[in-house]
Amino acid sequence: MSSPVQHIVIVGGGTAGWLSACVLAARLRDKRITLVEAPDIPTIGVGEGTWPTMRETLATIGIAEAEFLTQCDAAFKQGSRFDGWRDGSPDDSYLHPFSAPPAAELRDLAAAWQAGGQQGPFAAAITPQHGVCAANLAPRQRAMPDYAGALNYGYHLDAGKFAALLMRHATQRLGVTRIAAQVIGVTRAANGDIAALMLQNGAALGGDLFLDCSGQAAILIAGECGAEWVDRSDVSFNDSALAVQVPVEPGSPIAAQTIGTAHEAGWLWDIGLPTRRGIGCVYASRFLSDDRAADILMAYVAAKVPGADPASLTPRKLAFRTGHRDRFWIGNCLAIGLSAGFIEPLEASAIVLIELSLKALAENFPQSRAVMDIHAGRFNELFRYRWDRVVEFLKLHYVPSQRSEPYWQAQRAPETIPPRLAECLALWCEQAPSAWDFPRIDEMFPAASQQYVLHGMGVPVPLAGAAPAAPARLADIAAKARALAAALPTTRDYLDRLAAQSPAARIPA
Amino acid sequence: MSQHQILNAADHGQLRIHTEAGAAFGDNVMASLAMPAEFREVQAHYPIVFRRDAETGKLAALALFGFEAGENLFLNGSTWEARYRPMAHAVQPFLIGRPAEEGAAPQVHIDMANPRVATGGEGMRVFDDTGTPTPYLESIASMLGDLDYAWQEGAAFFTAVEAYGLVEPFTLEVTLDDGSIQSLVGYLTIHEERLSSLDGEALAALMAEGHLARIYMVLASLAQFGNLVSRKNRKVALG
Repeated sequence: MSSPVQHIVIVGGGTAGWLSACVLAARLRDKRITLVEAPDIPTIGVGEGTWPTMRETLATIGIAEAEFLTQCDAAFKQGSRFDGWRDGSPDDSYLHPFSAPPAAELRDLAAAWQAGGQQGPFAAAITPQHGVCAANLAPRQRAMPDYAGALNYGYHLDAGKFAALLMRHATQRLGVTRIAAQVIGVTRAANGDIAALMLQNGAALGGDLFLDCSGQAAILIAGECGAEWVDRSDVSFNDSALAVQVPVEPGSPIAAQTIGTAHEAGWLWDIGLPTRRGIGCVYASRFLSDDRAADILMAYVAAKVPGADPASLTPRKLAFRTGHRDRFWIGNCLAIGLSAGFIEPLEASAIVLIELSLKALAENFPQSRAVMDIHAGRFNELFRYRWDRVVEFLKLHYVPSQRSEPYWQAQRAPETIPPRLAECLALWCEQAPSAWDFPRIDEMFPAASQQYVLHGMGVPVPLAGAAPAAPARLADIAAKARALAAALPTTRDYLDRLAAQSPAARIPA
Repeated sequence: MSQHQILNAADHGQLRIHTEAGAAFGDNVMASLAMPAEFREVQAHYPIVFRRDAETGKLAALALFGFEAGENLFLNGSTWEARYRPMAHAVQPFLIGRPAEEGAAPQVHIDMANPRVATGGEGMRVFDDTGTPTPYLESIASMLGDLDYAWQEGAAFFTAVEAYGLVEPFTLEVTLDDGSIQSLVGYLTIHEERLSSLDGEALAALMAEGHLARIYMVLASLAQFGNLVSRKNRKVALG
C-alpha cells in the first residue's frame, strides 16, 4: 500500500485538463503525466475571465506574457463592474477592482470616504484602479517585465485558444504525453482505487493518480467513484445562459473589466477581447423564458456594441446545474474543473478554482499511496469551505439590491440566504469585514472584496470604533490615479502594438 | 530639423512622451550642458569640463557621458545607469520659450521633431482628458523653471573663473585595456595651480558669491574620468 505515486493520468482536454497538465509538469518534475482526451468532444468554451493568480500560474509553467496575450487573443482584466444591481437607475454602477488597499488601512480609508460625504464611488476613493478602468487603460506598460504591472490584473481570453496553447506547451515543452481516445471504463485495484482506464481503442492506461477533468460529465468522480451532487440552486437561482460572440470594429476601446449588467431576472456578462466581445445573458428559467432572455440579450448588443448586427448572431443556449460534489477527492481520483462543480460566472470563479486545486495538490502531493487518504480528507474539507465562500459571496451581490422584480425579491428572501452570510451581514452593520471573517490561507474573497461589493451596493460603512484616515491619504490615492492615468496606454493601443510587433503570433496554430 | 511649438492642451491634449532611456530617443550623446547650480549632483556621476563657444567666446560647462560623438557609456539598452541626469538633457523634448514682450512669463515649448514625441498610444500623457496638465508635465514645468533660473544665475560663475584666470585647456590621453589610445581634446578645466595661489581676498570674494564650492565640484568631478574609462574598457571588452 506504500507504492510510490509516479504516473498522473488526466482525463479531459479543456482548460482544466491542460492547465493541470502544465502546472503539475512544471511543479512536479519527477512525475510522468499523461492526458487522455476524446478527440470529438468540444470544449464548453466559457470561463473567459481569469483572476490575477493566472499571472503567477503562467510564469510558473513558463509561457511568456506576450506569447500568451497574442496566442489567446487575450486582454487585461482589472476587475468587474456591476451595472444596475442596486436599483437599475441610470447611474447605478460600481466596480470590484483587483487592486486592494493595504488591509491595515482599508477600514480607516472606508471610514474617511464615508465621513467625507461619499465623494464619488467607494472604489474610486480607495484605489487608483477605478480611474484607470474608467479610461480603458492597460494596467502595465510594454517595457515592464513580464507579469508585472502598475496595478493588479488578470485576463480576458479566448478559452478555446487558451486550451490549444496549453496543449502545445504541455506536449512540446513540458514532456506531457497526449492520448486521443475516449475513456469507456475503468479497472479497479483490490482496494477500490482506479487501476487503469479502458480506452475505446482497446488499450488500458494505468496510473497512480487520476484527475477527472471531464467537465460536467464527471465520468470518474461521479460516474465511477460515486461522489454525490450537492445542489446549491436554493441559494443561486440562475440555471441558463444564452451566449453570443460579437465582432468589434478595429480600433474600438477594450474594456478594462468584465461588465455585469443586471436585468429583470438575472444579469448579462460582457467580456472585451481585441477582436470580439463575448456577451451572455444569465437567467433563472423559472423567472424568465428563453425568448425573453434572447430579447434582453439582443437589446443589450444593439445598445452597447457599436456597429453590431444583432440579426446576424445566433445565441448558444447553455443549461447548467449549480452545485458541487460532496467530495472532490476519492481514493486516487481527484476532480478539477467543472467536474468538481459549477456556479454562474459572476466573479469568474471557475478558472481560479482550478488554479487553487492545483496549488493545493502540488504543494501537498502524496508521494505514496499510504498518505493519499490524509491529503484527500484535507482537500475535501478545504474545497467544501471554498465552495461555501463562493456561494455566499455571489449571493452577497444580490441581497442588498433594492430592485423590485419578483426574481430580485426572491433573491433576498431570508430562507435563500446561507446562515453564515446572514451572520456576517448582521455583524457588518456594526464592524467592517476583516480577516476575522475570512481567516484561511488563500481566501478567495477577502475583506476588501466584500467591502467593494457591500459599499458598491450602498450598504453604509460602520463607523463605530473606526478612526477615519486623514483626508490626505485619500488625496494621495487621487494623486496616484492622476499619475497612472498619464503613464498608462489604453488597452487597445497596447494590444494593437503588441500584435504588430509579433505578426506571426496571430497565425492560428 | 527641430520643430518648436508652444505647448497647449488644444493642440497637444492627446500627446504622449517616451520617458524611458534609449538610443532611439536621442540618449546616444557624449555630453550634455551642465548648469553650475547642479554641479553637486553632476560631479557625483560624470566628469565636468568647460568648452568655449567658437563664435561668442563664452564658456559653458558640460557633463561627459563618453569619449566620442554619439557615445553614451551610461546608456545600457533602456536603462541610464546613473541616478541623475543633467537638467538640460532631462527636460527633452521640452524647452523654455520667451515671449516677444519684455517681462512676460516664459512658456513651455516642445520640439515635435524630437524622437521622444510618441506617435503610438504609449508613453506619458502631457495633459489629461480634461486638458489639465498631468503630474508629469507639472514636474517638467518645474524643472524648466529651475533650468531657466540656473542658466541666468550661472553666467556669473563663468565670468568669475575667467576674471581670475582659473581656466586652462586640457588634453586627456588614456590607454585602454586593448592597447588602443583614447584621447579627449578641445576642452578646458580649472587651473589648479592658479587656484591654489589665489590670495585670501580673492578666495573670500569667490566664496561670498558661492563660486568657490562649485570650482571644487569641477575639480572633484575629474575623478569620474576613472569611472568613464572603466565603462569604456567594459564596452570594448564586450565588443
